[in-house]
Amino acid sequence: MPTLIRRQDDDQFSLAEDSFTAVADDAPLPPGDVIVSFTRFQAEGDRLLAEGRAVGVRLEPAEEVEALAYDLPRIAVVALAFPKYRDGRAYTAAHLLRQRLGYAGEVRAVGEVLREQAGFMVRCGIDSFVPADGATPQDWAHAVHRHRHVYQRAADLRVPAYVEREGG
Amino acid sequence: MKALTANRLIDGDVVFWKSGQWVEGFGDADLFDDPAAAEAAEGQAKSQATVVIDPYLIDLMESDGLWAPLSYRERIRALGPTNHPTHGKQAVGGEVIEALLHADGAARSSGRVNLIKRK
Amino acid sequence: MYQYDSVDQEFVADRSREFREQVARRLSGELSEDQFKALRLMNGLYLQLHAYMLRIAIPYGSLNSRQMRRLAHIGRVYDRGYGHFTTRQNLQFHWIKLRDAPDILDQLAEVDMHAIQTSGNCIRNVTSDPYAGATAEELDDPRVWSEAIRQWSSLHPEFSFLPRKFKIAITASAKDRTAAKVHDIGLMIRRGRDGQLGFEVIVGGGLGRTPYVGPTITEFLPANRLFSYLEAILRVYNRHGRRDNIYKARIKILVAALGAEEFARQVAEEWAKIGPEGDLPDTELARIRGAFAKTAFEPLPAVSAIFEAAKAADPALARFARNNLRPHKKPGYAIVEVSLKAIGETPGDATSDQMDVIADLAERYGQDDIRVTHEQNLVLPHVRLDDVPAVFAGLQAAGLASANVNLISDIIACPGLDYCALANARAIPVAQQIAQTFADPDRAEAIGELKIKISGCINACGHHHVGHIGILGVDKKGEEFYQLTLGGSGAEDAAVGKMLGPALPYDKVAGAIDTLVEVYLRERKDGERFLDTYRRTGVEPFKEAVYADAH
Repeated sequence: MPTLIRRQDDDQFSLAEDSFTAVADDAPLPPGDVIVSFTRFQAEGDRLLAEGRAVGVRLEPAEEVEALAYDLPRIAVVALAFPKYRDGRAYTAAHLLRQRLGYAGEVRAVGEVLREQAGFMVRCGIDSFVPADGATPQDWAHAVHRHRHVYQRAADLRVPAYVEREGG
Repeated sequence: MKALTANRLIDGDVVFWKSGQWVEGFGDADLFDDPAAAEAAEGQAKSQATVVIDPYLIDLMESDGLWAPLSYRERIRALGPTNHPTHGKQAVGGEVIEALLHADGAARSSGRVNLIKRK
Repeated sequence: MYQYDSVDQEFVADRSREFREQVARRLSGELSEDQFKALRLMNGLYLQLHAYMLRIAIPYGSLNSRQMRRLAHIGRVYDRGYGHFTTRQNLQFHWIKLRDAPDILDQLAEVDMHAIQTSGNCIRNVTSDPYAGATAEELDDPRVWSEAIRQWSSLHPEFSFLPRKFKIAITASAKDRTAAKVHDIGLMIRRGRDGQLGFEVIVGGGLGRTPYVGPTITEFLPANRLFSYLEAILRVYNRHGRRDNIYKARIKILVAALGAEEFARQVAEEWAKIGPEGDLPDTELARIRGAFAKTAFEPLPAVSAIFEAAKAADPALARFARNNLRPHKKPGYAIVEVSLKAIGETPGDATSDQMDVIADLAERYGQDDIRVTHEQNLVLPHVRLDDVPAVFAGLQAAGLASANVNLISDIIACPGLDYCALANARAIPVAQQIAQTFADPDRAEAIGELKIKISGCINACGHHHVGHIGILGVDKKGEEFYQLTLGGSGAEDAAVGKMLGPALPYDKVAGAIDTLVEVYLRERKDGERFLDTYRRTGVEPFKEAVYADAH
């Protein structure tokens, strides 16, 4: 089972049991909770949910996050794909999921997920991670908490510098 | 004829392959006339990911009885920048450096232009 | 000069510490070169031909003497005693060792400097008018907005992995000294009819393989709505910019593909959804405005007797005054341009000793303020006319008094094949030859304003497309050749130059420039610049003369 790092409400990070199986489009469905592509979800989502399982959707960078809007209340996990470290579209997808579509469920980063991105990901509202670099929850926390200050308002609700300054 | 070159990870310096080690001067580099031996060395070099960055083979040409990199870019790497004659490897001088400085044209070119300016 | 507070200081210190760990992980083999490359580039560290190159951010080209001295020190200790000022108003060191890079970043952090986002597919160092705060032309101080954008864009969580790099320029004067129209975003400060401050927003200009003068997508954006609007532009770009082809990934390609109108519509739609929540509060803008060091100007007569007498006595000073001084907003003061284009030297290079001299002069005579221009010169923006002779003497002693700003030997050149891993041909020696061809200062003055810009490859760091004469180095079967373009401009009358004809070999370039100049001198009418004559006559007379031999 791949490592899953989860962000807690207190902004700490821990290893988590991953109850979901990521299923490829052409693979048979195992029993239990699954994460499927958006295409497969569109075709089979109703049936899967009717079977009483928790269902997650994997969103590729080129897929518009707004297309999920109607189904979000019944989706347990949105897994945002980072096929390449340098492909930054999923940051926008995460931001919109949290800030515009009001999604409160799990947003997971999968693919080429390295601790160097951890700070950006958390700020955009991603709260679980399948690291590709063997990072531990401690590594993750270290990376996320590295910067004592941030300059922008983002989905993580950290206090930006301009608010911090008003207080000081 | 070929030589194997890379930049050293720790300082970025241009280095050349010499029997499993890296040397700083083009004049000390191994010259390969056997393509298989060159590729074998390149394969070995590529496994040294914490020593060098992106090792690759370069083509050489004969110039006044000595070997010089064929491309202009490689000559500048082996010498240093042409606007600062005392910077880079050219600073040490010597026969090999002189030969490189005065190598005429690139083999792919017509040889009309003396690309490294004599200073 | 913006004064860092503890937030800004801790921010760069944290970043520096992060990079130290990343370097250690690369050296141990934990990070592959491919993974590390993206990280070092986000800190301005490139691998070039001979060594690593570190590009240090000089936000909107503004620095004080303490920072300039620190740059000089870094040049001495970690490089070969010099640095190279760039067309993004930054400074590059060309002989850096990876093992020293974390120490250098620490040294920079100590003087409120960094190398964040001087490379990578992120929002790069914001550039602005080097005369900001000194010229009477400006509607507002563009540094305030530049600094606000610097902060907003620093480690932006959503926009640090864009399809490609992203460059913003801001100007507040009718005369554009920032090349705003050939940026990903060009912001031109405007005043509305009711006196309200705002921006004309130009998006999708650029140089490189596909040069464009950017279209205006908003004529007037209220200034207090800037940040939500930038967010909207960046979000549309991050989602829809091409990622399949590096040469088609800049925003200019997206804007051109959609059409400016459709792009503007998409931005407006996104902007409406973001709303004012995406804006920076007025209080923070006011704080930033207040955090710029105050300038203290004395009431002075417009004419300085000391300066006039010195000019009359010294023709060299008079020449310097004609070419390197610009009017200041306050009577009795001048903006002094310091040319880094001494004949035969490398354009944009300054030795550590020269940097120290500039720092001393700025401290003593220039309100501790130094600017870098995108044309690779330096500026002392606030010098009393009374002090100009002393400043000139100081510059002269350091080899910094070349009186050639905006003249034919004030050439922009990228590092080219002498340093750069991307280059196809050298740029520096071409600039040196041209400058030597026009070394006679009387002739250079007679020719007048003529901007030559040289790039060693199509990526156009030397801005060749917008040179009055542009020179692009190309590789033809292993030989260096140079394509000439005419009629470009990076100023308010921005235009992309047109190709003159077949590329010329290395040793023919300076002669061809001489020929072009002769044609201009023959054809020009009352007071025309080279660019004006070219625009009137078209390319024909120039082409005919340069390629006469070939017929």
